[in-house]
Amino acid sequence: MVELSAPSRLPLPTHGPLAVRARRFAEVARQVLRNPTTVAGLVIIVALLAMAFLAPLLTTPNAPDPYQMPRDWTMRDVPPGTPGHPLGTTSTGGDVFYGVLWGARTSLQLSVIVVSITVTVGIIVGSLAGFIGGKLDEILMRLVDVFLAIPELIFALAIAAVLGPSFSNIIFALAVVFWVKYARIIRGQIIHIKQNDYVDAARVTGDSRFSIYRKDVLPNSITPVMVQATMDMGGIVLTAATLSFIGLAEAGLAEWGVLVSDGQAGISAGRWWASTFPGLMVFLWALAFNLVGDGLRDVLDPRTEGR
Amino acid sequence: MTAPAASPPSRATATLVVSVQDLRVHFNVKAGVVHAVDGVSFDVRDGETLGLVGETGCGKTVTARSFLRLVRTPPGIYAGGRIDFWSRDARRTGAGPVDLLSIPDREMLDIRGDRIAMIFQDPGKALNPAMSIGDQVAEVFFQHRSEDLIGDHRQRVPRMVRRASRQVTTGPERIVLRLPPWRSQAASLRRRVDELVAGALAETQIANPRKIMDRYPHELSGGMKQRVMIAQALACNPDLLIADEPTTALDVTIQARILELIADLQQRHGTSVLYISHDLSLVRRMCDRVAVMYAGRIVETGDTDTVFSRPLHPYTRGLMAAVPSASQKRGELVAIEGNVPELVDPPPSCHFHTRCGSAVALCGQVDPELLEFDDSHRVACLAYASAGELGVPDTALPLVERTPR
Repeated sequence: MVELSAPSRLPLPTHGPLAVRARRFAEVARQVLRNPTTVAGLVIIVALLAMAFLAPLLTTPNAPDPYQMPRDWTMRDVPPGTPGHPLGTTSTGGDVFYGVLWGARTSLQLSVIVVSITVTVGIIVGSLAGFIGGKLDEILMRLVDVFLAIPELIFALAIAAVLGPSFSNIIFALAVVFWVKYARIIRGQIIHIKQNDYVDAARVTGDSRFSIYRKDVLPNSITPVMVQATMDMGGIVLTAATLSFIGLAEAGLAEWGVLVSDGQAGISAGRWWASTFPGLMVFLWALAFNLVGDGLRDVLDPRTEGR
Repeated sequence: MTAPAASPPSRATATLVVSVQDLRVHFNVKAGVVHAVDGVSFDVRDGETLGLVGETGCGKTVTARSFLRLVRTPPGIYAGGRIDFWSRDARRTGAGPVDLLSIPDREMLDIRGDRIAMIFQDPGKALNPAMSIGDQVAEVFFQHRSEDLIGDHRQRVPRMVRRASRQVTTGPERIVLRLPPWRSQAASLRRRVDELVAGALAETQIANPRKIMDRYPHELSGGMKQRVMIAQALACNPDLLIADEPTTALDVTIQARILELIADLQQRHGTSVLYISHDLSLVRRMCDRVAVMYAGRIVETGDTDTVFSRPLHPYTRGLMAAVPSASQKRGELVAIEGNVPELVDPPPSCHFHTRCGSAVALCGQVDPELLEFDDSHRVACLAYASAGELGVPDTALPLVERTPR
């Protein structure tokens, strides 16, 4: 038997569960950072997050609702570089710079809310279907099939249109549409992982069903969901921008889709800025999360191993 | 369904650990019902090693897995029979056996890993890749030794720490346990677990157990992983260890060492071992007794030396002729012709008759019973059956050479 040393008083453990987890995280991080496109994606994400967090400092928040664009009717359609309006204004006098920065905040909130709801619901439904199986699996998966039969964008559009133009309705619509993907992914993973010997080995140690799910099945099934969630952080913003572009968000909301929509009438007249800058932001946001998602998949997904 | 195979002659049950009687495990498939295990009976005695031998698909793994009710239902069906199990306590107090097939799930969980443990074929697949080695071995202790983990001062232990000793804490509880005043007690719980885990790993002569505990399975070699499996299996000092081809996935050089280790630990702990293998030379070396399985049935059983020196069943003889040995000349290896028959709704017959050189018409019509040939040597072949009891003339029975080459 190994001699037990006196309880360690060191703040950082050199062994034990915490150190083990830290080491594993560092290992994944090192692999992810080896890929230059992933690093590029991460840099863009950091920049976008910085914009979102610094928006109240870089601009004067509009009162009472900072998520509404401030209007200056005396300064309509001014080009970029005008003092006080570095990126110009829209035809209704909205400051594009303000919209771009606060739009990053809106997008961040939107994607975090939608992704956390959809991932949670998806994991619960997918786990019930995959782990319990049988009749329940049949019922839940037919339900998922119904959702999948309707194209994502059209479905979200229909829900949002029925509920009326508001950004929270867009959030709701996206949450309703996007969870099915996760349910499917996690169900497939769980059915696959369930077959593994280590699940039987855990049963052999006398573990209960739920604790096998928690310790053996879920942790080994979760990585494709993490990859998909990362990609959806971008995709959801793109879809939301589409919906608000066609007018399903409140008018004057500091949101990129709304801004692009506001500016589009002026494009033919040479006033490109009101649409271009927010459009570029949507592009960068979606691109960055896709790059990082791809990088994560290369590291985490066993199917791409050895490529 | 035919009558159950002959029950074993009455033996002092005090020496039995497991008694399998007429076990039947079927599988529902599209084509019908596969009789994967079709009336198997055998005993495992206290401290002995029983080898269950047979080719792939003969039902030996299904038999072993039904001990712990690991066969998934559906598609599996426990169609009949019983598996009586005497734990150490039951043997000491003289209490009766429990039937592993019919006890409630709750009791099964208590037996799994504590009284009956299992080692899997491929250690690479039998360890959770997302859990450190230490955590995985600790599972067993949390599951079955939580009382010991708390220690003597049972009364003053907070409920949360006690829950932690069974690993049923929720996320918020785990965070609270990192804070004072629970912190120190949770830490000492962890230390006690670590100590037990390190001890269990050290028993398997793994190098540097404290370091190994922080590793993940992919960082270990196959031999090391199998040692971890063994440590986990023997952690609670089980009455019965089921080893399902424990060395098939390992290098030949490692195999011998793992086998030695199992034999050594078995001797020290007095554990009975059920060895599942298709490797005859391994079984001959490791096992006290051997049971030969073919197509869901036991065709021959007896002391290892007896069976190997005087195999009775044509299948056993074929199996032994098919094993290469150093003394054999080139070209002397004989394969058994044909394939294992489909076991979908089989008619009463000797399952081996389609491949047997000595088979006669009767072999395709009657289920041969496992009959005592001589002391502790039993065989299921009509050649050794009594024509009178079957109600057929002597000439209807197959002829098998009485003294094999």
